[in-house]
Amino acid sequence: MKKIINIGLIAVLAMMSACTDLDVQPKNDLTPDVFFTDDAAYERFLTRIYAGLAVTGQQGPAGNADIKSLDEGFSSYLRQYWQLQELPTDEAVIAWNDDGLPDLVTQGWSSTNQFVRAMYYRVFFQVSLANEFLRESTPEKLDSRGVSKEVADQMSTYRAEARFMRALSYWHGIDFFGDIPFYTEDQVIGSTAPTQFSRREVFNFVVNELNEIEGDMLEAGTAPYGRADKGALWMLQAKLYLNGEVYTDGETYWNEAVDACNKIIESGAYTLMDEYHHNFLADNDRSTETIMSVNFDGDATQTFGGTTYLVHAAIGGAMNAENYGVNNGWGGLRTLPSLVDRFPDETGNIDERAIFFTEGQTKAVEAINEFTNGYTVPKYQNITSEGVPGSDPTFADTDYPMFRFGEVHLIYAEAVLRGATNGDLGTAVAYINALRQRAYNNDAGNIAEGDLNLDFILDERSRELYWEGVRRTDLIRFGQFTENGTWAWKGNIREGTTTSPHLRLYPIPAEELLANDNLEQNQGY
Amino acid sequence: MKNILRLVVAFAAALLLVQQGYAQGTVKGTATDENGEALIGATILLVGSSRGTATDFDGNYVLENVPAGEQQLRASYTGYGDFTKTITVRDGETVTLDFQLGEDAEVLEEVVVIGYGSVRKEDATGVVAKIEDKNFNRGAIVSPEQLISGKVAGVQIAPGDGSPGGGSAIRIRGGTSINASNEPLFVIDGMPIDNEGVAGSRNPLNFLNPSDIESFTVLKDASATAIYGSRGANGVIIITTKKGQEGGRPRVNYDGYYTVNEIRGEPGMLDAGNFRDVVTFFAPSRLNALGDNNTNWFDEMLRQAQGQNHSLSVSGGGQDFGYRISAGYQQLEGIIRGSETERTSFGLNYNHKFFDDKLKVSTNLRGARTRDIFDPGIGAAWDLDPTQPVFDADNDAFGGFFSYGNSLAPRNPVSAAEQRVDQGQSFRTIGNMEIEYALDDLLEGLSVKTNVGFDINQGDRNTFEPTTYTNTQVANFNGLVKIENFTRTNYLFDAYLNYDKALNERNNLKLTAGYSYQDFYEQYPLFEGQNLSTDQFGINGPAQAEDVFPSNSVFENRLISFWGRAIYNFDERYILTATLRRDGSTRFGPESRWGLFPSAAVAWRVLQEDWAEGLNNVFSDLKFRVSYGITGNQDIGDYRYLPQYAFSDQRARYQIGTDADGNPIFVNTARPNAYDPGLQWEETASLNVGLEFGFANGRFNGALEYYTQTTSQLLFEVNVPAGTNLSDRVLTNIGELENQGVELTLNANILNTPDMSWDLTGNVAYNRNEVLGLSNIAGDAGILRGGIAGGVGNNVQILRVGQAVDAFYVYEHILNDDGTPVSDEDDLMMYVDQNEDGQINELDRRIFQNPAPDIFYGLTSNFRFKSFDLAMTIRGAIGNYVYNNNASNRGYFQRVQGVNIGDDRFFLNNVHESVLETQFVAPQYFSDYYVEDASFMRLDNVTLGYTFLPKRGISSLRLYVTGQNLLVFTKYSGLDPEVGVNGIDNAPYPRPMGFIFGASLGL
Repeated sequence: MKKIINIGLIAVLAMMSACTDLDVQPKNDLTPDVFFTDDAAYERFLTRIYAGLAVTGQQGPAGNADIKSLDEGFSSYLRQYWQLQELPTDEAVIAWNDDGLPDLVTQGWSSTNQFVRAMYYRVFFQVSLANEFLRESTPEKLDSRGVSKEVADQMSTYRAEARFMRALSYWHGIDFFGDIPFYTEDQVIGSTAPTQFSRREVFNFVVNELNEIEGDMLEAGTAPYGRADKGALWMLQAKLYLNGEVYTDGETYWNEAVDACNKIIESGAYTLMDEYHHNFLADNDRSTETIMSVNFDGDATQTFGGTTYLVHAAIGGAMNAENYGVNNGWGGLRTLPSLVDRFPDETGNIDERAIFFTEGQTKAVEAINEFTNGYTVPKYQNITSEGVPGSDPTFADTDYPMFRFGEVHLIYAEAVLRGATNGDLGTAVAYINALRQRAYNNDAGNIAEGDLNLDFILDERSRELYWEGVRRTDLIRFGQFTENGTWAWKGNIREGTTTSPHLRLYPIPAEELLANDNLEQNQGY
Repeated sequence: MKNILRLVVAFAAALLLVQQGYAQGTVKGTATDENGEALIGATILLVGSSRGTATDFDGNYVLENVPAGEQQLRASYTGYGDFTKTITVRDGETVTLDFQLGEDAEVLEEVVVIGYGSVRKEDATGVVAKIEDKNFNRGAIVSPEQLISGKVAGVQIAPGDGSPGGGSAIRIRGGTSINASNEPLFVIDGMPIDNEGVAGSRNPLNFLNPSDIESFTVLKDASATAIYGSRGANGVIIITTKKGQEGGRPRVNYDGYYTVNEIRGEPGMLDAGNFRDVVTFFAPSRLNALGDNNTNWFDEMLRQAQGQNHSLSVSGGGQDFGYRISAGYQQLEGIIRGSETERTSFGLNYNHKFFDDKLKVSTNLRGARTRDIFDPGIGAAWDLDPTQPVFDADNDAFGGFFSYGNSLAPRNPVSAAEQRVDQGQSFRTIGNMEIEYALDDLLEGLSVKTNVGFDINQGDRNTFEPTTYTNTQVANFNGLVKIENFTRTNYLFDAYLNYDKALNERNNLKLTAGYSYQDFYEQYPLFEGQNLSTDQFGINGPAQAEDVFPSNSVFENRLISFWGRAIYNFDERYILTATLRRDGSTRFGPESRWGLFPSAAVAWRVLQEDWAEGLNNVFSDLKFRVSYGITGNQDIGDYRYLPQYAFSDQRARYQIGTDADGNPIFVNTARPNAYDPGLQWEETASLNVGLEFGFANGRFNGALEYYTQTTSQLLFEVNVPAGTNLSDRVLTNIGELENQGVELTLNANILNTPDMSWDLTGNVAYNRNEVLGLSNIAGDAGILRGGIAGGVGNNVQILRVGQAVDAFYVYEHILNDDGTPVSDEDDLMMYVDQNEDGQINELDRRIFQNPAPDIFYGLTSNFRFKSFDLAMTIRGAIGNYVYNNNASNRGYFQRVQGVNIGDDRFFLNNVHESVLETQFVAPQYFSDYYVEDASFMRLDNVTLGYTFLPKRGISSLRLYVTGQNLLVFTKYSGLDPEVGVNGIDNAPYPRPMGFIFGASLGL
């Protein structure tokens, strides 16, 4: 009996001790071996790169965040892109006291600014996603996984789009930060820190990439809504070339810019909408003018960034939120007199692009944090062109027109004015007048060749494109962002003052400098 | 499990069997000690049966119905040996049998539990502190850890808040980690338990009824904790539950109390009159936004809370077995309206020896249902305009409660307390069976032990918000129903061999080697329904929800270990302990998942030396100890080393194209997550030097310890070079942290006479922590931490090399001549320009104090005079600083400027009274004015009791009254200086003061 117990106990002991299995697999997420067994994986992954401009994590409206070093709601790509392009300019102010936010308005940011940090990490999050997609979609990997021919045939287009999205973010990267780390699919996850490439080197890389992938992109106007095609590629080229002088410190690309515009125009895929404002309403997915959009939906794509932010933040004071298709206002964004004064009148009766709410608001901004100071701008609304509210009172249906055909007219005209030899002034004036006729609903606003000069272009761009995330880049190209040009609260002075030219670049975040020894901070920070 | 139950049922049945004899007599007699004094409550047992009795107040006993013939009776008494005598009983007669019990040296030897075994106290080489039930804190205690708050040097038990049954943060010798957990490992009767919080319960430890606990043993240094390897870095708390005694007659104990609690102190917000004055002065244009009421929102939300507790236990045993069965019920209201906790618990212990004590089986099974009703919090009471009413009869959209009907405005907390339903329950069962078998046949001194256990925690939390509370005026949807379930299980198998042998007269060797397997599985299905078509179904209305969001999360991890320990005792003078544990964890990649955790310690019992004979006159004990070891931490979440794709939920899809009808097609996207394939264990190397001493025959004794603990490969979520991984931050091994400290424990038996006794126990601990390294962050850089309420992304703490963890990082406020801070209203510099660059910006923030106390202490007094007893616990800390976020986020005049909620309507926020001193117009979140010295001394509890003399049938009866949290001495201006370990005071659940009236009865 005892012997049996002895032997039994020792046997149990030996048996259990043999168990050293430590391979436990995740249950909520999928490891790559599992994930890529489904052919739909590639579309899911590629779509995530596009969605990277819109959502902040894998749970809507917030949760399972992509970026962790700040509040998830603040980490939206589009929200920060917009804030960094608009708040330091003569087009917008914001009332809130969040750490570092007033500094965006006054050009008083430093390397620890959380919004600058958010934008920086968003750029590289997109780059990392695209790189990983390119690593996982090589012909060798597809072969080893035995994907269907249907998926394999699409892969050259998918890969081209991933490279396009990487190019887009690299462009944002050099536009905001100048010299930036550079990293492609050739490095692996967790590898050593990338080295810093000059703004010019990255610019050249992006230009080459766009040329290389052009043939693999879908024809202009044929991509499923939300994806990029040749139209988007040409638009990115046009914007790159237009600012090429800034990025390369002197080399100009006016002819290339005009070429890109011509390709877009000649494709015939895009036309101006009859109503300017319909580009910014809840049913703007039907806009014929949008070349590339960032998509939102009240039910399916919820976030506290994007157009949800643009609609809510601009509502407050005596405004009735319901009129804009939402349940409340966040009382944040207004504009400055400098924008209002660019229009012939503030009511929009003459130039319908002047979309201001003035009741109970002062025109001047005495205090940044007082919402009733400064006219508000309900340009983005969660209500359709037919007056129907969006699907959700909090999260907007409105898509963000990242690239809009109207701007092509302006780029063409500016490039010609600046010296392009492959375009002509008459066409340029005609393009400008097309925009102005739409705005005036008649030809009263039309200009003549003699009226077209660079100052006019800068103002006309503001009238047409205000609050569309282009103003900072425009002011820099025209030399008006820092040491020239004043507007209220620039330099943290009520009347405004000029500022140091180093502010044309945002600082590389302090966190990044600590993590990557190879980087040098931008001058002046 | 089924077998355990079967066993339990079988023995329970056996207890009920009354042994019947045909011919019976009676035995009576007296039990006395060696001096002839009567022993009260000595156990007298009829050997070979489960029958017995206990002596009365005069030491007399009577045992009836003893079968005729030669019988053996055994007498036993705690601290004395067992004595067995033989007597002949005749049918119908009464015989007398007296016992005189001598003091038994063996029994008096104090034994302390260590991991996987126990040792004599003198043989302990590690820092092990044992707290027995008689020294526990008194009061209306829900969570077991509160029993030893203030009782052990270097153990800080910081209650999170004052909610009924709320959890605590426990820090043994400071925190060794930053990102991974800093909580110690809890082991209950040999079963390491899972101590992570769940939605359905305020504190997962609440399943354990405090009155079932016999002792706590805290293992502090690496020599003691390294046997738990990867889970030992933050110390180990071993809980031993009460057991049945072999050979004891059945004893029934009841303890019950009634308690009543209320808030102590004032939150410091303006009343309606003062508020109106401030508005009149500062924002007269907003006077029309005020109401005409005088509402104290705190009074509306706080109440006098009552509670009750009942514990009943039966314990006893026979010749070879002992049992204890207990049941408990506790119900406590919280002082915030609507909050409550309830526990119904049972416990069962059975142990039995077979085959001449060769086989020992011990079984524990305990379980509880805890039910928590969660309150909506009182954050809104801090903000709401006191001139507004609670009710607004015309406001049908909000059920007749006052509401601004805007999502930016504070919600009416009374409306929340009345209309919202938020309740959780958890069913937790933990059981284990230990089997020990002596293998002397194979090798003398060898035995084998197995421990099989389970820990299952299941439950749910249900939330219901009617459309009259949550609707699109204030939220994104109309009405909410949420059902969260959770299941957490862990299974344990331990097997080990013990070898305990005196090699010769002077050499004694104790070896232990074993294997352990523990698997943890968690599952969290969740159902959320929004936009209800009716409120009538309450929490049962999921079917009424228009939009539903189901989800499920599943996790599993496993720990497999091999371990060994050798204790070598040379001549009772030198004791050497060495342990080694090899842990394998599923939380790390194949390259790094096995970790090795060694420790070694030596103790020198000075008084055992021949030359130390002379010291015996002074000392009764003198022991030096030195230990060194490495422990680990793996508490980081699962699968962090693996590449994974996370899918988007239904609300984070993205439109790609349209279908044939022109409707959008939404794609569920997949995102690759960031990961570090080389993730490794966090390792803490600790050195401890200790001295134990005793004087006057042990009446005065104590211990002095010095320790240093260095944690390397700190697991930390850090920013990685942009582009090199799939997020900005990745959990990786980086950084180094050091804790250094000194602890002193003193016990004094000041008085000890038959009429009067007085024991005083004190402990004091000093700890200092310092960040030694953080990635490649050097110099003045650091990682901002300590998010506060007020703005998004505002942080007031920093991790910086060379500084304490989470040191406050603020501006130095310039003071006026009268000591008040310069206001932003005046045209003066408010802050010191630290870098003298002529402007105040973030570069001028500086390190100013930190939330961890430099010194914390506890003092326990137990006094008895005749039948009266008086016990109290005082606890305190010195040098702990708190950021008063309640004041910083509310103490400025702009709060009354009003927030526009459309249609030219405004709401105003109430103002903290600190504004009357500071005169701040705008918030000054980063001012050091709000970093306050929160050193304190708290009278935790005082108990006065009276014990009645035993009467026939009643062996003990004691009535007592306890005052809990009666006094706090502090300079801190907020409600309570203890705000949790992070040192940020942000409207926590106020800690109540209260009284308990109780009775204990023993049969």
